[in-house]
Amino acid sequence: MAARRPVRTPGGVAPPTVDQVVDLAVRHNLAEIEVEADGTRIRVVREHAPAAGAAPRVEAPATPLAQAAAAPAESTAHLVPVEAPMVGTFYRAPKPDASPFVSEGDVVKEGQVLCIVEAMKLMNEIEAKAAGRIVKILVDNGQPVEFGQSLFLMEPLR
Amino acid sequence: MFHKILIANRGEIALRVIRACREMGIRTVIAHSTADAASLPVRLADESVCIGPPEARSSYLNIPSIISAAAITDSEAIHPGYGLLSENAAFAEICRACGITFIGPSPEAIRLMGDKAQAREMAKHAGAPVVPGSEGPLAGVDEAQSLADSMGYPVIVKAAAGGGGRGMRIVREREGLARAYATCQAEAGAAFGSSELYLEKFVEEARHVEVQVLGDKNGMRLHLGERDCSVQRRHQKLLEESPGPNLAPETRAGLYKAALAVAHSVNYVSAGTVEFLVDRQEQFYFIEMNTRIQVEHPVTEMVTGIDLVREQIRIASGEPLGYRQNAVRFTGHAIECRINAEDPEHFVPSPGRVTTWIPPGGPGTRVDSHLMAGYTVPPHYDSLIAKIIVHANNRAEAIARMHRALSETVIEGVKTTIPYHLKLLADPAFVAGESTLARLEQSL
Repeated sequence: MAARRPVRTPGGVAPPTVDQVVDLAVRHNLAEIEVEADGTRIRVVREHAPAAGAAPRVEAPATPLAQAAAAPAESTAHLVPVEAPMVGTFYRAPKPDASPFVSEGDVVKEGQVLCIVEAMKLMNEIEAKAAGRIVKILVDNGQPVEFGQSLFLMEPLR
Repeated sequence: MFHKILIANRGEIALRVIRACREMGIRTVIAHSTADAASLPVRLADESVCIGPPEARSSYLNIPSIISAAAITDSEAIHPGYGLLSENAAFAEICRACGITFIGPSPEAIRLMGDKAQAREMAKHAGAPVVPGSEGPLAGVDEAQSLADSMGYPVIVKAAAGGGGRGMRIVREREGLARAYATCQAEAGAAFGSSELYLEKFVEEARHVEVQVLGDKNGMRLHLGERDCSVQRRHQKLLEESPGPNLAPETRAGLYKAALAVAHSVNYVSAGTVEFLVDRQEQFYFIEMNTRIQVEHPVTEMVTGIDLVREQIRIASGEPLGYRQNAVRFTGHAIECRINAEDPEHFVPSPGRVTTWIPPGGPGTRVDSHLMAGYTVPPHYDSLIAKIIVHANNRAEAIARMHRALSETVIEGVKTTIPYHLKLLADPAFVAGESTLARLEQSL
């Protein structure tokens, strides 16, 4: 595992956007990066860090303050991750030949099934906790996921 | 031999299993909680899977998540370490049903030895002496009262499913029995989900001596000598040593024979420990069998040169032991101190961030620890943070070496039991090898 490298920006400098932090992580091939400035903390964890082309995983900002601070339109900080409530295998559809529960761009209602996480032959349906739009699906069908891993990025609809 | 093993534990024992696997060329997967995501075992394992939140019941005790983690990582076997699920017969059974090898004894052996009343019967049947006491669980406080009256005081009331010092009370006179019975029942119900109790004669000035056994799947069993674990505080072991000081050769031989008889009676496979009380006259009595690797296993490894975790893994994979009793050689003396993140005066846990960690080194010194500078000792789990083990030619040299090792150890940020250990090592009765279970509670 790559070493953690906490990065601190000097006081007075504007906090970076999430995109900038993701770029840093990819450019320097870091498994994890944490940036703190003026009470805003952004942490980016990449699932398969050294593997080429792996999508960086953006974790929920550590402080509510970060959400407000990183609001500009180009950032993804307003997106809310849907996390795996258990370790298991991620499935996008109820059956291998069925169509997926959701696709990127779909608008979902609160309580709508988004995917299945199979643990010990039990199919656990994962539901949306709130209404929103699926912006990104972060995990491939059939891929193992661990507890707390982000599965989707959702844009909340108010 | 296995290609990949999942470790369903944390802290120093998880690291211990990773070390054994690395030397054997086996890949490791650590199943961990969110609280341990930045821990040393997670860093050192080949793969890691987060299985749940900090609370053990939702992570380290969550059987579906652990089995699931083994399944998604193609692990062929699970090492349960000690504590947590290590003596959970249902877990061992589920592993078996899922085609995963549980690195330990059979679920049947775990179940038999896990019920203390049943274990006692098995031991008695196998010819191991047991402390006089109730035959099976007590029907009620009246039965306890009449039995205690006939055996004479002091007596000890214990939870049938108990362990780790919970659910037990020493009763010195008749008046205290009813209250002790009620307290134990409540504690046992809350801690173990079973309020069955039994009663034993309390052996005064006893020493706690345990025998390490190993058994393979072909029925070959041998012992690896004894450990004296009399230095305890509130039934928690703090220092262990091997060999046990001042034991007559015939007492030793008797202990080994009784331990093997108990192990044979449950067809014991893997590493296990048979615990005895030894009184002043060196009469000994079976207490219980621990069906797992013990915290204090390194002292046995130091005097025998046998890697117990490696043996557990080899045996689980079906390999025969490959050596006989007379090939086991005992050399010198080993002592282990359990360093807990605890206030040394009051023994209350002291979780927090470790700012400095300088482990001891030098000749004959071994450190089993998951500590690193900057590590935060989480409040969710037990407080053991390091085991310091020394090996020397004899007991006096081992005590001097341990004193030297503890004196050079630096742990800052959390309080530890090291000051207590240093006091203990200078205690005349300890130096004379006369520690008994009761004495330390009073004098140190």
